[in-house]
Amino acid sequence: MNRFVIADPQKCIGCFTCEVACVVAHNGNHLGALTPENFLPRLKVVKEWNISTPVLCRQCEDAPCANACPNNAIIHAKDSIQVLQEKCIGCKTCAVACPYGAMDIVTRVVYDERNPLSGHTVKAEAQKCDLCEGRAEGQACISACPTDALILMTHESVESMKQKKRQRAALEGISAILS
Amino acid sequence: MHKALTVCPYCGSGCKINLLVENGTVVGAEAANGRTNQGQLCLKGYYGWDFLNDTRLLTPRLRSPMIRREKGGQLEEVSWDEAIEYASSRLRQIKEKYGAKSIMHTGSSRGTGNETNYVMQKFARAVSGNNNIDCCARVCHGPSVSGLQVTLGNGAMSNSICEIEDTKCLLVFGYNAADSHPIVARRILKAKQKGAKIIVCDPRRIETARLADLWLPLKNGSNMALVNAFANVLINENLYDADYVARYTEGFEEYKAIVAKYTPEYVEDITGLPAQQIREAARMYAAAPTATILWGMGVTQWGQAVDVVKGLSGLALMTGNLGKPNVGVGPVRGQNNVQGACDMGALPNVFPGYQSVTDPAIREKFARAWGVDSLDGEPGFTLTEVPHKIMSGEIRANYLMGEDPLQTEPDLSEMRQAFEKLELLIVQDIFMTKTASVADVIFPSTSWGEHEGVYTAADRGFQHFEKAVEPKFNVKTDWQIISLMATALGYPMHYNNTKEIWDELRSLCPLYAGATYEKLEGFGYIPWPCPDESSPGTPWLYEGNKFDRPGGKGLLFASEWRPPLDLVDDAFPLVLCTVREVGHYSCRSMTGNCTALATLADEPGYVQINPRDAEKLGISDQQLVWVSSRRGKVITRAAVNERINVGAVYMTYQWWIGACNELTIDHLDPISKTPEYKYSAVKVEMIDDQRWAENYVQTEYSKLKSRLRHAVDDAIIRLPA
Repeated sequence: MNRFVIADPQKCIGCFTCEVACVVAHNGNHLGALTPENFLPRLKVVKEWNISTPVLCRQCEDAPCANACPNNAIIHAKDSIQVLQEKCIGCKTCAVACPYGAMDIVTRVVYDERNPLSGHTVKAEAQKCDLCEGRAEGQACISACPTDALILMTHESVESMKQKKRQRAALEGISAILS
Repeated sequence: MHKALTVCPYCGSGCKINLLVENGTVVGAEAANGRTNQGQLCLKGYYGWDFLNDTRLLTPRLRSPMIRREKGGQLEEVSWDEAIEYASSRLRQIKEKYGAKSIMHTGSSRGTGNETNYVMQKFARAVSGNNNIDCCARVCHGPSVSGLQVTLGNGAMSNSICEIEDTKCLLVFGYNAADSHPIVARRILKAKQKGAKIIVCDPRRIETARLADLWLPLKNGSNMALVNAFANVLINENLYDADYVARYTEGFEEYKAIVAKYTPEYVEDITGLPAQQIREAARMYAAAPTATILWGMGVTQWGQAVDVVKGLSGLALMTGNLGKPNVGVGPVRGQNNVQGACDMGALPNVFPGYQSVTDPAIREKFARAWGVDSLDGEPGFTLTEVPHKIMSGEIRANYLMGEDPLQTEPDLSEMRQAFEKLELLIVQDIFMTKTASVADVIFPSTSWGEHEGVYTAADRGFQHFEKAVEPKFNVKTDWQIISLMATALGYPMHYNNTKEIWDELRSLCPLYAGATYEKLEGFGYIPWPCPDESSPGTPWLYEGNKFDRPGGKGLLFASEWRPPLDLVDDAFPLVLCTVREVGHYSCRSMTGNCTALATLADEPGYVQINPRDAEKLGISDQQLVWVSSRRGKVITRAAVNERINVGAVYMTYQWWIGACNELTIDHLDPISKTPEYKYSAVKVEMIDDQRWAENYVQTEYSKLKSRLRHAVDDAIIRLPA
């Protein structure tokens, strides 16, 4: 099963620390490199009447984004769904396909000597939570969240959660029905 | 790489932070295991440090003393000797011409620390010879201090931040922990997880309201009516602790008489709340084995604020929720050291340690310690009276430290007018703020991170903060500057370090006597009172239900409800209430210069508005709009949000272009002199040409940033002859 990060809305206080942590971690921890243009958190805090929570990629087992990509840029690797940015053409199909709104198509201007006029071209990237792949300290949003609302779900943690719920159901549920 | 253990310079949660230092520069921040934050930080703690490296995103660091030799002229960089000589001689002239009381001083509630505030009030009293010193508690929790000092005897939080998670019921009144104190919000969450009941009284559906068992969306401006109704229910339904009231309080009969007419039914119209909901809330509070009331600016920034604070403390007294752990009254102090500024006597009516200036024996004690013949016994001017006293000619000089009143006071056009009339404005700060840009003398000081000291967190906890880096500019610590000014004015003052200052003030303040630097090392946390060296401090107050007021009993006190002043009408049909931004702090001179925080949120800021009101005005989310009041007009961005109550709009006071204080009113609580920031009548207008509007915002913002940058970069530099 893929690992994924998810937030407990009961613990979210809508402080945006996770968004900032994500951006900083994906910019080489270099605060000076941040601009409004590259401030692109891969999780977004949503605030509605009854809920505040960050929404981010679920690393789906049968990922619509991976299925939709015409260039095989989205693959299953390391118990997660990752985007091979070199292959992304910015067709936006994955963004449309994602039911969570977790995919962002971003573009940046890059040096490209093949373009004789300006020397620049636009590079598209499909950005979503990559579980901070390659970051030694693990997921930045999880370490930063002051209320521990964000957690990493792994196969083991999901199994353990299910087992606890089954135990509770067994102990509390039946007696409630019978009494 | 080394780590400096410091305390966050933003809110009063008192989070311990390790600043990571490499080659004399701060390169990062990580959470430390402090008493209140337990290894957590919010975005300001993690990313609020890079202003230290003079990013100039918003405005530059002040790097040299400066003088403006003539009104309207340019600032000139000068040496420290010349700046001190100039400022002190002008101050001396003004004192000789207009008298000692013509000079005003401020303490700073932020990065400078307790020791500086002690030295500034000493300057005001022993050197200038007056009690004209105040701090921004005046526009914040002043009413809490005034109110609680009268009813209970101590104006601070009665119980600690840590205890919040163990209370069985939280009554959160006019307080948005998630935006003001994320680390306190964490404690509220833990309380809920541990089964506590949560009651929230707030017009907006704030984060805490989402978690609450009961949310009372009272109408803006109905606080006193609701608090009286709670008291009414406790009395009429016999839910109060009659034994506790009889033994430990006084004033019950008069209190009962005044709240008698404030039945839940009577206040339905005023509060907009169903009577049944009010009853449920009162019953829930009374039924809890332990209960804690938390409040913030939603209670204090009103023309009727002190009365409401007294009313809230009455609820705690009536239910016996004082004098033990996990209960109490919690005015959660906003800024990282506003509690400290008050503790250190940066207040016009008390010396450090809350010792009254009107008490001759106290004055004699301080006079002897400070080596002067006598000290002024008349309470001085408050911060909010300053613009009026300047216009009347009673204040001629203002020695302003670590404050940006041209951003944070109400009715900014009135403030600007007043400051123009000042004969001498000395600004001691770390940034070229709007206030600094109109100064006659600028003293640049060291920032948090560049000096050590002690802060007092919101719950009275003293904590030491370390120096991380050497300052990069020609600056001095605040207390060094004040000492040089004092010496130049004929009162020799010199300290070698903050510990010397701290030891001096401990010897004069019985409340802090045992809080030594040694005990504060590392993660030391000492909530005063700490009367002697063996005491670990006092996390919760009023043990044995003995209240620190004459007679030792708690006072029950109620008042009639009064409506706000700047009432809405057809021309200005919406209520403007000022609130906080979680990712920025106060006047934003620090966070506005922090890359991550500034990219997350930037000018012109937002006006939060309900979808129904927005639709009526033809406004869609994220559009730029005009907001105007009877006093001013600003441009800002609409944040359409159903959590906002119909008929009211909310703006945060951090923004310089979308400056909501252009709109707010200078209407003060009669006792605490705190302004009614929470209620101004405004109108919101849509802007047709959004492209023009976006351009306008960018242009105005650039102009402002440019002006402030030039004030530093293009200061005159006279070469030696």
